[in-house]
This record gives sequence, structure tokens and C-alpha cells, in this order.
Amino acid sequence: MALRSPSGTARFNTLRRAVLEWSKRNGLFFALILLVIIFAAVSPRFLTGANVTVILLQISVIGIVAVPGAMLVLSGYVDLSVGSLGALVAITFGIMAKHIGVGPAFAVALAIGVSWGATQGFIISYFSFSAIVVSLGGLAGLYGVAEFISKGLVEYGFGNAFGELGNGTLIGLPVPAWLSFVAFMIGGHFWYRTRYGAHMAAIGSDKSVARSLGISVRRIPIVLYMASGFAAALGGLIVTSQLDGSSLSIGTNLELQVLTAILLGGVAFTGGRGSLFGVLIGVLFTGVLANGLVVANISPFLSDAVVGGALIGAAALDVLYQRLDRIPLREAGGSE
Amino acid sequence: MSALSSQGAVAALELRGLGKSFGAVRALRGVSLAVHAGETVGLVGDNGAGKSTLVSLISGNARPDFGEILVDGQLHDFRTPHEAQGAGIETVFQYLSLVLSLDIASNMFLGRELVRPGRFGRLFGVVDKRRMRREVLHILERLGLSLPPPRTKVSALSGGQRQAVALMRAVYWGKHIVILDEPTAALGVRQTQIVLDFIARIRDQGVAVIFISHNMEHIFAAADRVVVLRLGEKIFDGATRDLTPMDVVALITGAGIGREV
Repeated sequence: MALRSPSGTARFNTLRRAVLEWSKRNGLFFALILLVIIFAAVSPRFLTGANVTVILLQISVIGIVAVPGAMLVLSGYVDLSVGSLGALVAITFGIMAKHIGVGPAFAVALAIGVSWGATQGFIISYFSFSAIVVSLGGLAGLYGVAEFISKGLVEYGFGNAFGELGNGTLIGLPVPAWLSFVAFMIGGHFWYRTRYGAHMAAIGSDKSVARSLGISVRRIPIVLYMASGFAAALGGLIVTSQLDGSSLSIGTNLELQVLTAILLGGVAFTGGRGSLFGVLIGVLFTGVLANGLVVANISPFLSDAVVGGALIGAAALDVLYQRLDRIPLREAGGSE
Repeated sequence: MSALSSQGAVAALELRGLGKSFGAVRALRGVSLAVHAGETVGLVGDNGAGKSTLVSLISGNARPDFGEILVDGQLHDFRTPHEAQGAGIETVFQYLSLVLSLDIASNMFLGRELVRPGRFGRLFGVVDKRRMRREVLHILERLGLSLPPPRTKVSALSGGQRQAVALMRAVYWGKHIVILDEPTAALGVRQTQIVLDFIARIRDQGVAVIFISHNMEHIFAAADRVVVLRLGEKIFDGATRDLTPMDVVALITGAGIGREV
């Protein structure tokens, strides 16, 4: 157990162990590659540029919302209200755009998302209300408000500039895919490079311990809920742009798709453990699976069943990850 | 780190006539105690003798009804655990304040991370993981102890190694009074040895240690002095070398040499 100075072989062994370690806890990465190979073999259409673009469009919104979502789960919280918030934002944007113009309506729509996030975060964090219950209330309630405001009517026709948000391309990639990329870059910075990554894990692991170490156990979740509200609002606007219409169906099941990707990606629902890279793989995995089943001419209805099965598989993986966390004891500390 | 001081110097921690009641229960009835730098005091007593109450007063989790707490000769009144920590007192409880999913280095610096120097590092709050890992190796070297590499997750450590990380964090952050509440209670023989070694090392570094345990073997292995509490009073305070474990058990149960209730 002595700490040898890193000679060449020792360094190689460390590297080899790190690679092994990484492979062990990123099984989903290899499952994703396997999935891509299978679909590519079954259908020559699968790996075409057009289809890859379709996949990216399908998962972009999920990816954007999954970044703050994963941070919430890591911190021991959850936001189930994102889908309904997306719908409410889309509906209010649609109505407001007719009165105050697309630009101001866009800004107000994002502000609604952030305000809801702040409200929700404040209630959950300061009064210690259950995150599941409060955000489930948001899921039901916000959709109700959206229904009430829209009276079932669809607004459409927001102009070309707004259409670029969902349909435009930039250097060959769809704009929403770029936004998702940016979301993961920003998220990755906070998760891996700043102190907040460790702080979120600490809050999710044991709140009283985190508090005793001077970590902002209240402020961090509130900021995360605000980010989640912003992301959900942006997601709702992206879909509105793609449809060029504000429909109540926007955001339906978004919370489930997001949570599926997060949990598949190996973030523990109990908080304290997880990687944002895993979440990225989780998002790609659900997108590739749903698209591949369609492209390979397998019933698209099967996609939900497979995702459900994968999620149960993720629960098994979570147990495995916890076991793996204890294994290095024998490797690294065995000769104590 | 405080310098080594002789027994004659000002005590690192001095308690003067501490008393605390919970309703009708008089948990502590005027306990005085001095712990010097570089000294390990074993605090023993039966359940309900007042050990936990004493610890909660010292660690700022409760305030005494009467009596005084002095740190390095300065009078203190801790209203929160944070204030006790600020005075240099660290209490390592059985339940450990570690985050299992983070590595040793991250846990050492949790809440007080080292940020990369330069405007860029500070602006973006980029954590200097390499420097934190190096610091862990430094302190291990200074203490003459070994642990798995600093990037090992705490979940991969044994119980004794986890205790060691918690102790190391306390010492690193300049805590010169460390209270260990049953640190060996849930540990096996080998793991216990790791913790006892750590206690010996930090004591040699000039830290004042209060070590609470029910296990006489561990007390005799680690403590320079034994303090026995019984029914909220200190009934014995003396050097370990003049005692046998049987003597201490007799004192705890009230059957032996110190019966002067």
C-alpha cells in the first residue's frame, strides 16, 4: 500500500486501471456502440447524414433539459414539471407573440421558465417540501394552466427568424443540437471542473454533512431549479419553432424521457453519485434506440417497451455500480 | 499546527466546572478537565455517565448551564458547531462526514477547495485537483502514514481508512483539538490499528486528542491519561501507565478504587 513514485510501469498500470475502471462503470457506452452497429447492419439508411440529423433533432430538447435535470438528481432533487412547463411556455409564447411581438414574447417565455424554477426551488429547498411531490404538482398544475389559457386553441405562424431556432442549421448541424452541445459544455464545466460538482454530490449524499462543511445547501438547489426551468422553457420554444405552432402537446412525456436518460446514464436516483458524461450517453442511447427501431422497420410501438426494459436494466446497473465502488478496495488497498 | 507544549504550559482545552441538565436529569455536575497539546486523553464511563453530553458541549452542539470552556487559555462560548470548529476543535463522530462517491482528495478539501491560480482559474472557479492530491500525499508523508492513492473514492476504502481520512482532514485544517467519539466501535482488529496509529501520529504532531471508547484495550493502546466519568461527575483522572484495564472497569462500574460518591 506504499505510495510508490510513479515509475514508467507504475504509471502504465495506473492508466490501465483507470481505463478498466472507466469501462466498468460506462457499460452503457458500449451498449450504445453495439446498438449503432446493429442498426447500421440492419438498415443502410441508419447511418446516413439525414438520419443522424433526425436523431439529433429528436434528442436535442431532451439533452438540454437533462443537463440541469441530472444536476438536480445528483443533488438529491428532481424536477418532474419540465414537460408541463414546456407546454405552458409554448402556449403563453404563442398568445403573447400575437400581441407584443415574437422577440419580447420569447424573453417573457424564458422568464416564466426561470421564475417557475425559482419558485419551485425555493419551496422545496427552504421549506424542505418533497421535490417529487412539489414538481409532480407542477406537472399537473402547469398543464392545467396551459389548458385554461389556450382554451384548446393553437396559435401558429411566428415568422422565419423564430423558425431558425428549431429548424436552422449551423455548420451542418441543427441549431437545437448546437444548443444541446452548449448545455453539456456548460454543465460539464460545472460538474467536473468547479467545486460545485463535489458540492452537488455532497448535498445529494448527506445534506447535514454538506451544511457542516459550509456548502450552500439551499442556494445550489434553487439555482439548479432555475436552470431547469430555463432549459424546459427553451425546449418548449424549440419545439414551438419546429412546429411553427404552439400546441398543448408540446412537452408531453418530456419529464419521463429526461429522467430515463439521466437514470440510464447512471446517476443514482438517491443522489450523490453519477456522471454527466453518462447522462450524455443515456440521451444518445434513448435517441438511437427510438430512431433505430423505426428505421429498421420494427414497430415504433416497441420503442417504449424497450426503453422501459432498459430503465429496469438501469436499476440493476445502479446496484452494480454501488458494488463496483467497493471493489477497488481489494485492488488498491488490499495490502494494507 | 500548534507547537508541542509541555504539561506545564497552557492547556489546549480546559473545561472548568461544566454542568448541564436536561429537564430533571443532571447529565453533568461540574466536570473540570484539561487536555494539553500532544496528549491523548481517554474518556470512559458507562452509558449515561455524561460522555456524550460533555462532547456535545465541547463541539458546540449544546451550551453548558454553568462552567467555562477555554481553548488555549481563551474563554469561549460556542453557540454552534461552526464556532467550535472555528476555535480549532474538530469532532469526528462515528457517522463520518465524508461523501462516499468522492475521492480522498475531494473529501479532504470539500467546501474549501483549492482553486487554480490566475485570473482564469478564479473567474471560472476551476478546482486544482492535482494540487489537492499532492497536498494529501504531503500530509500523509508528514504523518508517516499511508492510504490508497488520493484519487481513490472513499467508498472503496475500509472503515479504518475512512476514519483516517476524516482525522487527516481535521488535522490538515489546523484543528489542534480533536475529539473522537467511539472511532473504533464498528471496526475490525486491523482497521482499529489504522485508526490507533493515526491517533498516535496526530498526537505526536502536537494535537490534543480526546478519545472516547468502551474498549479498554483501545484506550490503553492510545491514551496517555484516562478520565472516568460516572453519573455526571469526574471520579478519576490519572496516567494510563499507573492503571490496569481492570482498575478502569472497576472505576466505571463504581466498584473499585475511586469510589468516593
